[in-house]
Amino acid sequence: MSRSFAAPLDAVDQVDPSADGITATKRIVATDPYLAGHYPGFPIYPGVFTVETVHQAARRAVEADRGPDVRVELAAVRSVRFKAPLLPGDVLTASCQLRDDPDDPHRVRVVADCRRGDGAATAKVTLELRVRPGATDA
Amino acid sequence: MLEYADLTAILPHRHPILQVDRVLEVEPGRRIVAIKAVTGTEPCFAGLAEGLPQSAYAYPPALIVESLGQAGAALWLLSARATGETPEGTLVFGAARDFEFLGAAYPGDVLRHEVVVESLKPNSAVMRGETWVGERRIAVVGSMLAVARPDTELAAGPTG
Repeated sequence: MSRSFAAPLDAVDQVDPSADGITATKRIVATDPYLAGHYPGFPIYPGVFTVETVHQAARRAVEADRGPDVRVELAAVRSVRFKAPLLPGDVLTASCQLRDDPDDPHRVRVVADCRRGDGAATAKVTLELRVRPGATDA
Repeated sequence: MLEYADLTAILPHRHPILQVDRVLEVEPGRRIVAIKAVTGTEPCFAGLAEGLPQSAYAYPPALIVESLGQAGAALWLLSARATGETPEGTLVFGAARDFEFLGAAYPGDVLRHEVVVESLKPNSAVMRGETWVGERRIAVVGSMLAVARPDTELAAGPTG
């Protein structure tokens, strides 16, 4: 399927609704784009790709929620902490809590608890998305 | 000035995720200025639909973070080399705070990263930085933590 925005890879296999947001999953595959260089002979899912998984999943959820006439962008990575690696064969599950910013209707805060199939925490990510009216450039 | 071949001798990253093209200035232990040219032939621009607006071609923020982070990693490793205190183990991206995206970069733009050391220890470094396109500041990071993981821990691989 073709993409609607530039991205290093399709960082989400599936997104499911949860009580306070969404749950995204991504199976790490050695042939994922960019992994050939990260690192040669020893592929590891780059930390920034975990950020990308959370970004793409939350973006999809906000676009579905607010309708087709908005454009959603990453405004900030408020904090990220990496705790354990993701290797080919691992499945990343990102449990994302989404909350509208009470002071700014154009911001959504996303707090994601990221875990591997064995239950180990791999990262904690807090992002802010910017929601702009208009799906096309003004 | 350090060229691409010099960078491959410093950083473990390789094509297509070696996200720094050239180091313009470096003061070991203090700061680095490094550039990365953005081009439409990069893998992140593959597979986009037809008829999209220019905003769809904004360089992915995740790759801006990676590029700025690699400039910081190069600064740390060059600083360590200058003092003879090479970090033991493999360098990984540990954490970051307050990474704000203020503007966009497009194919044809050159990212210029300016990274400054906040603190350097034998096995960790804290840095802050900014990314510019010409006179436009497009990203700023309040703090980035790089850590050297001992090789015993690396049986499971580095995290970043």
